[in-house]
Amino acid sequence: MSDLSFLRQLFRRRRGWTTLAYLLMALTWSAAIALLALSGWFITAAALAGAGLLLGFDLFTPSAGIRAAALLRTLARYGERIVGHEAVLRVLADLRSASFAAIARLPLADQRRMRSGDLQQRLLADIDTLDGVPLRITGPLVAAALAVLGAAGLAGWLAPWPAPLLIAGAAAATLAASAVAAHFGQPRSRALVERRSRERVALLDYFGGLPELLAYRRTGSYEADLRRREREQARAVLLQERVALSADQAVQAVVALGALAMLALALGWHGEGQISAPVAVLLALMTLGLNEALSSLPGALWRSGESLQAASRLRRLGVSPPGTEGPPVQPFCRSGDRPADATFRVEDLAVGFVEQAPLLSGLAFEVEVGRPLVIHGASGRGKTTLLETLAGERLPLAGSVALAGRPLEQWPEPVRYRAIGYLPQQNTLLDDTVAANLRLGLPGLSDEELWAALDTVELADPLRREGSGLDYRTGERGRRFSGGQARRLSLAWLLLRDPPVVLLDEPFAGLDASLEERILARVTPWLQNRRAVLVTHAPERLPEGWARLAIGSGGQ
Amino acid sequence: MAWSIHLAFFGEGEVWPWLGLAVLAVLLRHGLQILRDWSGQQLAFAVRADLREELIATATRLGPVHLSHRGHSGSWASRYQEQVDALAGYYARYLPALGLTVAVPGLLLAAAFSQDWVAGLLLLLSAPLIPVFMALIGMGSEQIHQAQQERQNRLSGHFLDRLRALDLLRRSLALEAARHDVAKAAEDYRRLSMRVLRIAFLSSAVMEFFSAVAIGLVAIYVGFALLGFVEFGPAGELTLFSGLFVLLLAPEYFQPLRQFAQSYHDRAGAIAAAAELAPVLQPPAVTGQRSEPLATVSDTALVELHNVTVRYEADAQPALYGLQLHIRRGEQIAVVGPSGSGKSTLLALCAGFIQPESGSVTTGAAARPFAWIGQRGHLFHGTLRENLLLGAPYNSSDAELGDAMASAGLRLDDPTLPQGLDTPIGEDSRGLSGGQAQRVALARALLSRSLFWLLDEPTSALDPQTEEDLLTRLLAHAREQGITVLVATHQESVYRRLGRIVRLADGQLQEDNGV
Repeated sequence: MSDLSFLRQLFRRRRGWTTLAYLLMALTWSAAIALLALSGWFITAAALAGAGLLLGFDLFTPSAGIRAAALLRTLARYGERIVGHEAVLRVLADLRSASFAAIARLPLADQRRMRSGDLQQRLLADIDTLDGVPLRITGPLVAAALAVLGAAGLAGWLAPWPAPLLIAGAAAATLAASAVAAHFGQPRSRALVERRSRERVALLDYFGGLPELLAYRRTGSYEADLRRREREQARAVLLQERVALSADQAVQAVVALGALAMLALALGWHGEGQISAPVAVLLALMTLGLNEALSSLPGALWRSGESLQAASRLRRLGVSPPGTEGPPVQPFCRSGDRPADATFRVEDLAVGFVEQAPLLSGLAFEVEVGRPLVIHGASGRGKTTLLETLAGERLPLAGSVALAGRPLEQWPEPVRYRAIGYLPQQNTLLDDTVAANLRLGLPGLSDEELWAALDTVELADPLRREGSGLDYRTGERGRRFSGGQARRLSLAWLLLRDPPVVLLDEPFAGLDASLEERILARVTPWLQNRRAVLVTHAPERLPEGWARLAIGSGGQ
Repeated sequence: MAWSIHLAFFGEGEVWPWLGLAVLAVLLRHGLQILRDWSGQQLAFAVRADLREELIATATRLGPVHLSHRGHSGSWASRYQEQVDALAGYYARYLPALGLTVAVPGLLLAAAFSQDWVAGLLLLLSAPLIPVFMALIGMGSEQIHQAQQERQNRLSGHFLDRLRALDLLRRSLALEAARHDVAKAAEDYRRLSMRVLRIAFLSSAVMEFFSAVAIGLVAIYVGFALLGFVEFGPAGELTLFSGLFVLLLAPEYFQPLRQFAQSYHDRAGAIAAAAELAPVLQPPAVTGQRSEPLATVSDTALVELHNVTVRYEADAQPALYGLQLHIRRGEQIAVVGPSGSGKSTLLALCAGFIQPESGSVTTGAAARPFAWIGQRGHLFHGTLRENLLLGAPYNSSDAELGDAMASAGLRLDDPTLPQGLDTPIGEDSRGLSGGQAQRVALARALLSRSLFWLLDEPTSALDPQTEEDLLTRLLAHAREQGITVLVATHQESVYRRLGRIVRLADGQLQEDNGV
């Protein structure tokens, strides 16, 4: 699929809205043309009638027409703007959920690359860039074609054939100019979008790496680099804008000259008695009225590369146009898929990133109910990688992790997550209420159950004191919570899932010693009641009866 | 054009010269408009370049500590790009439109009056109504906008928030539900935006309506006058020329107003951007002495802090208070204390990243350049080699780079570095873990040959064993080369190994077991 057909499919779903917007746009321009043409006709006719050169002049029909055209133009323009923005905003809303689905479907490794806040900002900017397509490119093209057809038809009916030909010629010249603009402008505006995103990377390096740059006295060269980028980009953008603006003016000039040519022709025909004087004025003014419809086209097409580039970046991400979105992002659980038990056995397991150099290998153990397994050892040796493999989020390099006797990768994702609860090292909270965070995927939980879990992690009292209780909002990136509070909320999240197998990565990180002790005492029965694996750097703080697995230097 | 029509139908002279004049006028007009647009753009780009230059200058002047107090690097980047551009729109479009709104209608009005004062009066009276109505409606939309701002921001942030939480949503089996949430939030956002837009469009519709009515009125007045139905005023003298002339002027009269209304959005965006940029571009509130080179002191002294007090902009409590500290060359000093006690501030002072509010900091020649290793080493976009060479004063050989990496505990044949020194690292291709990034920063410091090292909790991303190994090697290297080391840490295993311990609590020096 090309970028263009991506765009076409994108807007097809909201065809009703966009078509209506285009029609209203055409109506606006036609009314504007009619207003000008009728007024000219009316005044000329009136002058002639006043001078006694025209008899039987009906004063009221054209003046009513002028008023109607004036009103129609206003109403149609208002309608076009409302409908057009409805259409665009609907498409952008579609696109947001389609992008979310596309990223949710990416392989986990690619998906995690999208964690960078800046990549996400750029994705959002790309989505927003697409709004220009219907309002600035497609719409004006369609509406201008309709308005030109109407005007040319009228001219053909009123005057000899060169009149419609002249109008069609002005339109064709504009279209040709637009095509040329699109051809030369698109690569430029595409390059501009890419250049801007490279500049962004340089900026993040400058602002983020300022301590290093100052220390090693490299600010000078980095600033010079930013300045060079700014100069190059400014030159390119300036050229881009100037061509677009000049194209607008050039089309207006061509149309105005066309109107003068039309006048010259019409005066000639009037001299030959082929058309009346008011009609001659009408023809000239009608041609002049095409200005509004035609003038924005070449400039918009010159810039159209920006939208195409945004579309191409979204496509590269795997975003498909809404309406063609395919299967659900996460399959639903079928009842037949339930594991018979929760035996959790690791055999001859090797984990890591590259097959030739596993971080850990030859691991074999079975996790038993009542005797949680504590994994400890040096960092950077693969504890977290091991836990990810145990959770089924990373494939083993060798050997297997088996749930109820079947390798993890053979269980459907929902079954796996229902059986295995994984609390990673990093806390993630939704910018939403405490209740919404805890009820994720479990909408049926009662308030009492939530409070009980919060009590276990000693978050209930602070939330009650705060007043809004379960409706307390966590804030953007959990900002209204301290690191320790966020950790405890994540623990409560895991307690509520209540899975038969749990994997916890540094579950008490960020808690002070006495709090850790109290919470551990409360969750110990819960942990011993199932198969539990804990990763920690301080194994001495966990009960002595639990199993230990030390991960030392050079693997297992 | 009007004159040639008049001439043609009333047969009082030659048409063609006037048509030729009209052609010239058309060319002149659009040529001048191109010039206008170009100079607007020129101005905008001059402003843009100045603002960007100033942002960079401010960033360097603020230093990394104050910089991070005014937002993370992502928000600085969007200030540099989006917000400066928004402000430039004000100069490219709003200001020229404003000028035209003042100048052009006045001229055209004069022209209209010269032909027929009644028609001129019609235009004159209709014009002021427009800004009045627009302002009324604008105020309404402003109110709605303010009332909804918070909800609107939250809804527009919803998408990013859920994207960040993908892992959590997957583990909660809530992905499908979240996708519906995202769709619903986007839908709510659309509804909310449309409510604001409807009002905003109403104001431009009012503008359109008045201009259309005025043009219509002028046309009808001129028509009736030409027919001789208007008994008063100058109507009797109106000719086809002056009638058409006034009629053709009328749309042009309103054109600048329409452009102005359109560029009004640019103004709103620019005001928001200016409100965001202005406080950022403020100089830091601290007015202390700059650090001066240590000239008069003996060559054993490296950094001397005399009675130093540091206070951050928003805080009432100073971050450091009345600090006295002398650092001699070759010393290895641990700065310890609970978090928030001012350890990082002390390091930033020694680095020259911040200036004291009172007191003085003097540094010896050997203290510049220095090596900096923060809590999270920054990896620059590029290859590993480029990152390592950042601090190297000469073109180091690959073997030296490899040795430095090995000393920092990361081998070039590590599976996470598939292309060795040419492995791309940094923003787009993270690849390296936090601990590995820290080792790259250490290797960078080793290669820099600086004689002064400032380490801010350098091993917090590492486990105790690795930390132990690494520090042993680093400190031995430092002793060999006579490097002065200042390490901020809260880990006992680190500070036990150092010759001198500086303890901080609540911004004050508690004890200094130095020699």
